[in-house]
Amino acid sequence: MAQALGEFVLALDGSALPPREQIGGKAWSVARMLALGLPVPPAVVITTDACRAYLDQGHFPDGLEDQIGAAVAWLEAQTGRTLGDGDKPLLVSVRSGAAISMPGMMDTVLNLGINDATEAALAAESGDAGFARDTHRRFLELYAGIVLKATLPESSAGDPRAMVEAIEGQGLQVPATAREQLHAAVEAVFASWNSRRAKRYRKHHDIPDSLGTAVTVQAMVFGNLDDRSGTGVLFSRNPLHGDPEPYGEYLHRAQGEDVVSGKFTPEPLSSLREALPEVHDALIAAAQTLERENGDVQDIEFTVQRGELFLLQSRAAKRAPAAAVRFAVDMVNEGRIEAATALARVSAEQVRSLLKPRLVEGATDGAEILARGEIACQGVGAGVVVTDSDEAERRHEAGEAVVLARATTSPEDVHGMIAASAVLTEQGGSTSHAAVVGRALGVPCLVGCGEGSVTALAGREVTVDANGGAVHAGLLEVVSPSETDDPLLAQLTQWAAERCPITVTDTDDGAFDLDHVEGAEDPQRLPALLAGHDSVRGGAIESDAGVAAALAAGVSTIVARHPLPVMLAALAASRGDDA
Amino acid sequence: MNESHLVLHGIAVKKHGGRDAIADLAGLDAAAVDGLLEAAVAGGRVAQVEDKFLLTPAGRMIVDAQYSRFYAAAREDAEFRAAHERFEIVNNELKQVITDWQTMSVGGEKIANDHSDPDYDDKVIDRLGQVHEKVEPILKRFAVNVPRFAHYLAKLEAALEKAEDGEAKWVSDATLDSYHTVWFELHEDILRVLGREREE
Repeated sequence: MAQALGEFVLALDGSALPPREQIGGKAWSVARMLALGLPVPPAVVITTDACRAYLDQGHFPDGLEDQIGAAVAWLEAQTGRTLGDGDKPLLVSVRSGAAISMPGMMDTVLNLGINDATEAALAAESGDAGFARDTHRRFLELYAGIVLKATLPESSAGDPRAMVEAIEGQGLQVPATAREQLHAAVEAVFASWNSRRAKRYRKHHDIPDSLGTAVTVQAMVFGNLDDRSGTGVLFSRNPLHGDPEPYGEYLHRAQGEDVVSGKFTPEPLSSLREALPEVHDALIAAAQTLERENGDVQDIEFTVQRGELFLLQSRAAKRAPAAAVRFAVDMVNEGRIEAATALARVSAEQVRSLLKPRLVEGATDGAEILARGEIACQGVGAGVVVTDSDEAERRHEAGEAVVLARATTSPEDVHGMIAASAVLTEQGGSTSHAAVVGRALGVPCLVGCGEGSVTALAGREVTVDANGGAVHAGLLEVVSPSETDDPLLAQLTQWAAERCPITVTDTDDGAFDLDHVEGAEDPQRLPALLAGHDSVRGGAIESDAGVAAALAAGVSTIVARHPLPVMLAALAASRGDDA
Repeated sequence: MNESHLVLHGIAVKKHGGRDAIADLAGLDAAAVDGLLEAAVAGGRVAQVEDKFLLTPAGRMIVDAQYSRFYAAAREDAEFRAAHERFEIVNNELKQVITDWQTMSVGGEKIANDHSDPDYDDKVIDRLGQVHEKVEPILKRFAVNVPRFAHYLAKLEAALEKAEDGEAKWVSDATLDSYHTVWFELHEDILRVLGREREE
């Protein structure tokens, strides 16, 4: 057992791993990193037992207040800092954590423990008054929004005094002491267990209401205290292309939110290796340990405080489609995972995106660039430029390939966007209507090409390279990649074929062709249309829903131009994964 | 409110809409809409292509003129306009939420969200729920002047709840009454009522 500070509170010291049900998923992963001997900022957890008692009684159970006091004392002893006071102030984060992660729970409150006095102490310690002020502001913003549910007017932003006044103007109160703030934050976590969204989620997923949530209170570490401090992100392998080398970004003398804010340009990991080689090596070793233990590529957030490394979070890395394929095949070859696991980690959709038509290498050499825009949805599409959605639909139906170019798009243009092989707009960025709908439809789309830039191309034949962000004159040569040409996809195809519950082939043996059947482009209508057929092709059969319908209808063979995504969808459906 | 206007308005917002979708946007009974559509087609204001409808150029001119006539009072109501200003602020949040739903950041680059990370998706849907809580009072205020805005609230909530229950397509699928589809029609509607142009 981690060190018990009372009935309801545990100090995480790496001595043993308490059950997930008792401490929640987040504290569990902190405890696990500690058990692996990895450096993590000191943390305590208020267990789900306390939450259940609170929900039963409507107030903190007897003894909890004192145990939270003991927890704070433990954190103070570990860090050599004091909460809410002193010249080396301790700041903590407060986060919810149930055994099963669940939406609707309270967001994390950061920097609790800052006030006018500790702001001044932190300014002196870091030599950066702006940072101390910003830390204070961020705390008030989160505390107001998350714990008090107050709305702060923009006019108060940046000035703690004005923020507190705005909060009081709404009849709410930021408690005077850090201890009281901590009490209120813990109570807010407990209360969020019964938020509308959390209750709905539990009901829908048959999760018992009696589980309750734990609260993790963790010391904040700072990456901006001196020249031997910094913060960054490390992937145990490259998440874009899948190369096995670690890939990361480091911000010298900066705090975690600076990475996210985009205010600073991160440096490559090599800058950490040059500045602090021992920290760099420890970080790489930690990444390897975590990847091996978790059996998947890790995305690790870390902070270096005065030359000391702290891991803040480690989780399975998000990955681009090419990386998903490479990780899966490499990790099987390295003996880390089974082929069946590898197949479960590559989605049909990821492979479909890798098999999308793309420009032949060198096709754009010497091709005139007519316009450039921001990439909203990747892909390549070519055709004659039309500027009216009705015309796009009409000409598409007549068998012509069209590129829809508009100043902006609106709901009136959706039918034209569906008909188009690519969409271009002159105004708007990555959140504009065209971008949102283009991505939803999977149509290659460039936005914000500039006033008058693309509507002026009406009638011309163009190729839209929404991988490179350019509109080229003429119809450039396009290839459709094949899964047999790529050794990694070919390997996945072989593993998938050995395990796939149905036969998927690219050779037609006289299959029932759904392309000639009314309504077969709608997967919802497939169950009725598939009855009595053994071998099928066309219609919506290659979509995830189509494959699931084929399995349910007892179809034995699907004929598809690209068998791999169909097999992956069939494997996912037979595992019972959510579509 | 003039029912034949509402039908033209429904087609203006949902071009190529079927009868049920138009009825929905107009806030009218589907059965009542059949007769109105028939009359509009006969009057040359609406063209019918199979079971879908679109405005003719004449129909478009007529409906645009009707907006300024029928919504003159709303356009002059300071509270209504203030609610619209709040809507535009929440609209920016919604657009960011939808974009974060469709894309994710991998190693510093934006790529399509492949929905393989349930924690990420859940957080985005949480934020969608927060946007919904903010737009609720705004739509109720719109509905004081223009009652049909109350329908959007029900449709948004239906899409939100399906998304919350794990049906991802109800967030932004362009071929369904997903949260984004309904929101965009709502935005288009309020702009038409106020006679404003959309800003990207």
